[in-house]
This record gives sequence, structure tokens and C-alpha cells, in this order.
Amino acid sequence: MSLMDSLAAGFALVGNVEAFFMLFCGLVIGVIGGAIPGLSATMAVALTLPFTFSMAPINGILLLLGVYKGGIFGGSIPAILIKTPGTPASSATILDGYPMAERGEAGRALGMALYASCTADAVSNLALILFAGWLASFALNFGPPEFFALILFSLTIIAGVSGESLLRGALSALAGLLLATIGLDLVYGTNRFTFGDPNMMGGLNFIAVLIGLFAIPEIIAMAWNPVAHLGKTRALGKSKVTLADYIGSFKSILRGSMIGVFLGSIPGIGAAPSAFLSYSEARRTSKNKDNFGKGEIEGVAASEAGNNGVAGATLIPLLALGVPGDVITAIIIGAFMVHGLQPGPMMFILNVDIIYGLFIGLIVSSVFLLIVGSVAIRGFRFVADVPKRLLMPAVLVLCIYGVFAVNNNIFDVGVMFAMGWVGYLMMRHRIPAAPFLIAFILGPLLEDNFRQSMLMSGSDPSILMRGPITWFFWTLTFITVFAITRSTLRKRVPLS
Amino acid sequence: MKLRTFGSVFALGLGLTAGAAMAEYPERPINMIIPYGAGGATDISARTIAEPLGNAVGEALVMANVTGAGGATGSVAVQNAKADGYTMLFARVGSHSVNPAMKATLPYTLDDFRFVTVYEINPVACAVRPDAGIDSMEDLIAKVNEGGVSYSSSGVGSLLHLAGAMVLKEFGVEDPLTQATHIPQKGGGAAATAVLNGTATFLCTNSSALASFVSNNQLKPLMVTTAEPVVGFDVPTANDLGKPALNQLVGWTGIAGPDGLPDDVAEKWGTWMAAATEDATFRETMEARGSVIELMDPEAANAFIQGQYEVFRALVDDLGMRIEG
Repeated sequence: MSLMDSLAAGFALVGNVEAFFMLFCGLVIGVIGGAIPGLSATMAVALTLPFTFSMAPINGILLLLGVYKGGIFGGSIPAILIKTPGTPASSATILDGYPMAERGEAGRALGMALYASCTADAVSNLALILFAGWLASFALNFGPPEFFALILFSLTIIAGVSGESLLRGALSALAGLLLATIGLDLVYGTNRFTFGDPNMMGGLNFIAVLIGLFAIPEIIAMAWNPVAHLGKTRALGKSKVTLADYIGSFKSILRGSMIGVFLGSIPGIGAAPSAFLSYSEARRTSKNKDNFGKGEIEGVAASEAGNNGVAGATLIPLLALGVPGDVITAIIIGAFMVHGLQPGPMMFILNVDIIYGLFIGLIVSSVFLLIVGSVAIRGFRFVADVPKRLLMPAVLVLCIYGVFAVNNNIFDVGVMFAMGWVGYLMMRHRIPAAPFLIAFILGPLLEDNFRQSMLMSGSDPSILMRGPITWFFWTLTFITVFAITRSTLRKRVPLS
Repeated sequence: MKLRTFGSVFALGLGLTAGAAMAEYPERPINMIIPYGAGGATDISARTIAEPLGNAVGEALVMANVTGAGGATGSVAVQNAKADGYTMLFARVGSHSVNPAMKATLPYTLDDFRFVTVYEINPVACAVRPDAGIDSMEDLIAKVNEGGVSYSSSGVGSLLHLAGAMVLKEFGVEDPLTQATHIPQKGGGAAATAVLNGTATFLCTNSSALASFVSNNQLKPLMVTTAEPVVGFDVPTANDLGKPALNQLVGWTGIAGPDGLPDDVAEKWGTWMAAATEDATFRETMEARGSVIELMDPEAANAFIQGQYEVFRALVDDLGMRIEG
């Protein structure tokens, strides 16, 4: 079948109102789901999955993809407006998005988030369509040693998000690494730090930690001193993003998209590390470097490009290899299975109409996201105008509800409050929360891949340097650590 | 709140007129806990049966995923629930026969549950990469004896973990734990990826999880553990290879309540399941995914699970695989 025939077959499949309607519905559900704190994109996809069982395969899959992409963007809305990431992937957006909202530029930050998301989404979809086969075979070269080197390099992001003091950042990261060890040991299956409580066996719930760390401290601070914010003006969120903003950040958006595509095509990493990596790269190369973390629009652009760049690329391992790229595509693969579709190389031959139908749907999804996102921003940005003393209790209710819903477990709500106090103490002592989160995400990956490598080699550490990919990341790690050390010494940044 | 009060007053009135009918189980929606994540084998199986089962029950089934610790978190939630039949669990081979056999510190045992049915059996198949130079179980065992063979699993205490060791043991490998390396991964998808990218040599898992890789020629099956051949897997069965003991090594999905579930409730589940599994669409979709629909009544289900547990437990003790920590 020629390309034209395949395209025609794809059009025949999606060329009905229903398919596009489903995609559109998916995006709406996703944006709203992502925008509710605690109800992450993953949850929104999981909740939508059962409804797709009775649909035509292409409609069901497009619905889920819509929810996925909408959710990843939607998460940035509460991240910017109320300092609560709607979905883990948008945690990096807080760093600059929330300070912008505090300055009364919520509309501008949200607009940038949308344009960066849509651009990255389009880049990601194009990468999927054009390079799926190539990127998938490249991703298959990633065994545990390569993963270890990549994650080790990614830990250098911590330096980029530590803010004023590297030592405080490192302290925060250490706490994150420590808490990430709770749960079952990967290799021996033994309990670690569970204190005999079955609820701790699965480790601390990620969403609970995330909400606890970012949203609850704000609420505690509000309860502690309810009138502290009254003097400050938090002007109306009517500001808009300009073309100049977009052009100024374009390089970061493009770089973020590439990082997203790269990390997305490797199974098992996900959108949050990609957003942080993109953010720290943008900060490193930007001329407004010092403004990062204080409300720099380029930081919002980089984070959102980094996480949405993943959204199309995670479909690369799914379609080309049949393995899920992240947690969300692991759910979407269920929809393929339910309909008797077997993702993998043969699908490009047996179900070429579905593949091309998906491609067409994906391209359209970037445009739909722009439309749905614009409407959502118009509605949501006035949340910034709601008086804080009314907004915060509402946020608290949403957080409790969302965290409970993740796993239907009241224990998680307790974790959220405990982490909230930790986060509050950290805030009072000017210890940044972002390094904690990065370490909490990357720590288990680092440990697991290290131990898997050791199992593979019979405890011979030379396996960690087994090929060009590992050499590449080791070199990058050394260069970055050297650069961080040098700039820290040169600037004579006080250590504490 | 007002609505609920109104509802209960209404229900009370109804109960007064209907008399004994009020005690009839079920009189309100039933919570069904799925101890594994959305999109996984258990989740899909549970949600496929939910529709015909809901019709048979006549009340709504509220499906909730409670995930973590290889199914333990969700299982504990049901273990601690009231044994009134309104909180039930989708039990799975991993959470209710492999893990109890392997993990000493698991917060529950099989005695904490009463199984009302097993409705689905999943054959297990072993597979390698097509370019590994392994064409049969014989080749694989020869390789194991040479050394350097590893197998992946979805985690310690999973069916895949036990299956790898059990298959090697049955085929005459003296000490599978030292002669082959177990490389645990996080989840079934990662386990398959590990074999695809050469991190591990082989894996043994549910045939449904391997079907797409086999039909895509990404993985090559070596055997299936059932007595009957499996569609799509052009390989000898365990019985063809003279290892009928491996027939015990199958995945399954069932439904359980807390221990102390009344007899009449268990009986009702038996009749509901009989009706639900008759549903033609249910059978069709499940069989298309490589499952074998095999309905067991409460007694048969308990006997089957206990039997499998004992086989696994014996193997675990024999090989010293028990996790004490």
C-alpha cells in the first residue's frame, strides 16, 4: 500500500464527525481533569478508559489521547494560578508560573503555557509520524546501564532549580531521596521503612507528596496569618501573552520539545523529569538567567514545552514496539488490547488504517488543544481574581478530594497533610521544594537501574560504561558538574 | 444530605411494607476493588465482566482501583472490610497465590479471604528474543547450564518471578536461583521490554501479555504450560514436553470477600457468576484476548487456589525463595 492509499484509508476511518468529536471531548475532559488539583492526567485517562470499551477502536483511542494531551496542558492552569500542579508533569511550571500570577500576569503565563504546549505537541506528533521507527530502535538500546547514566545526568537538574542556595537545594534533594526509599525493595522484595503498616508497602503516593509539598504549605501559611496578603496587590489576570514573548522564548520551546521527544520515546521516564530538564536547560542558556524562579516567562515556556513534548513521543514505543512509554500510555495500551489490536511493528502492516487514522487525529489534536485551551484560559484565569481567603479553603477541599480519589485510600490524605507540614517548614526556612520532587521521582529510577545493572553483570561496575550512550551521559554529567562547581565558586554564592 | 435522609425514610417505608424482602442481599451498590492499575490484565478482565455481572446482580457495581505493593494494598482494604458482601475483591494469581507463598511478612494470608469464584484462567508461556539462538526449551536449558542466562519479571513475588524459577526447576535445573539470574522490573510492560532489549534472556508470563509480541515476531515462544495448545502460540505444551506438573502454573482471576462472608452471599455470587459468564459478548472478548473462561463455584475456587498455593509454597520452600523481611 502506498503512502497515499494509507492516508486515504486513515481518512476514511477518522473522516467522520464522531471521531473528531471524541477527540474534542477528550481534550475538554483532559483540560478540566488536569486543572483540578489532585485529579491528574493519569486519573482522567483511567476514568475515561472504561467508556471506550463499547466504542469503535479509533474513536476510543482518540478520546483517550485527547484526555492525555488535554490533561498534561490542563495541569499547568492550577500550577500557575494556585501553586498546585494539577498533574505531576506541571510541577516545573510552578517555579516561574506562580510568581508571574502573584505579579498579576496570570493571563500572560497561561497564554504562554498554552502556546508552548501546542508547539511542543505539534513537534512531538511530527516526530512520532516521521521518526517513530528510528526513535523506537534507538530507545531499545536503553538497558539499565544506559538508564542509570541518563538518570545520573538528570540529577544535575537539581542545581538548576535550587534557587539562591545550592546547599539548601541539595538538602531538599537528600530528603526526597530518603523518602523515596519507602516501600518494597525492588530486588529482594523486602519491606523498607514501612513500620509494619501495609499502607506504606506501596511507598508514599506520588500525588499525595506532590500536593502536600506545593499546595498545603500555601494553605497553612494562609491559616497562620490570614491577612498577610491583604496589603499586596494581586491584580486582575487580564494580561495577555504577546508575539514578542513567544518569539523570545521560541528557542527554549523548541529545545524543550526536543528533550520531550527524546525522553518520551524511551520507555519509563515520563513527563515530569522532561519538564524539569527542559527548564534547567533553558535557565542555563538564557540571558535572563537570574530572573528564573522569580517569574520569567521563558521558564514557563520551557517547562510546558518539556512536558507536552513527551505526550506524542510516548506513543513511539507504544506503536512501534508495543510497550508503554509511561504510566498513561500503559493505560491507553489497555484500550488497544480491549479492541483486539496488537501494537507493534505488525500493526503498521495489519492495521495501517488505524495507524494513519491516529496520525491524522494527532495532528488535528494540536489545533484542537489550542482552541480548547484558549477557552479554558478565558474561564480559569479569573480564579486569580478570587479573594485568597475564599480560594484557599476551596483548594483544600479539592486537594483532599483529589488525593483520596487517586487510590481510594484515606491514608494518602494523611500523607498529604504530613508532607504539607514538611513543605511548610521547608518554605519557612527557604528550602526549595523542587529539588525534593526531582529526587523523589528520579531516586527510585536511579537505584533500580543501578541494581539491575549489577544483577546483569554479576556486580561488575564496568557495565555502567558499556557503550557510547553511557559514555555520552557520563561526559555530560562531568561537564555539568564541573560547570556548576566553577560558576558557584566564581560567583562566590554563599553556601548557606 | 436531605436527599439521603429522604431516601432512607422512603426505604424504611418500603421495608415495612415488603417485610422480609428488605434483608435480601444486595440492597445497595457493591464496592468492587481492583488491586491493580488501570489498563492492566486484572483491570481489563474486571471491567469486562462488570457489565454482565452487574446485570445479574441487579445492583450497581462500583469499581475502584486500589493499587500498590503488588496487589497487597487493595487486598488489605478488603481484608479489613466488613464481611457483609458489599466490599469484594478481584483476586489475582499474583496477589492470592504467588505472593502469599513467597512473602512471609505479607499482612494477609489466604485464610483472610473467602473466594466466591474463579472465572478466568490465563495460560502461561515462556518466550525469548528471536535472535537469541534459542529454539526450544532444550536449547534454553543448555544455555542455563553454560551460565549467563537471566529472566525478567514484573517484580519480586509476581507470577513471572515464580514462573521463571519453576519452569527451570521442572526442566532439571538443580538450583535455578544461582544458575540463572532473576532481574526484577517494575510492571509487566517493563518485564517484556527487558527481554526485547536484551537485558534479560527469557520471561514466562501470561500468554495474553505475550500475544502481541509473538504475532509481531518480536518474541519467540518456547512452550505453554497448559495441557491444551494456545491459539497463536505454535509451540509444544507442557504435557507434550512431559512436564504435566507445570499445568499448575497458570494465571487466574477470581472474586473474593473477607473471611466470614455468609454462606448465602457466597451462594448468590455463584449463581450470578454462572449467569454472567454465559454472556456471549463477554466470552467472545475474553477469548479473543487469550483467556480461557472456566467458571468455578465457591468450593471449587477455594480448592483450586489452595491447591495452587500449596504447589507454589512447596517450590518456594524447596528453593529457599521465601522473603522474610
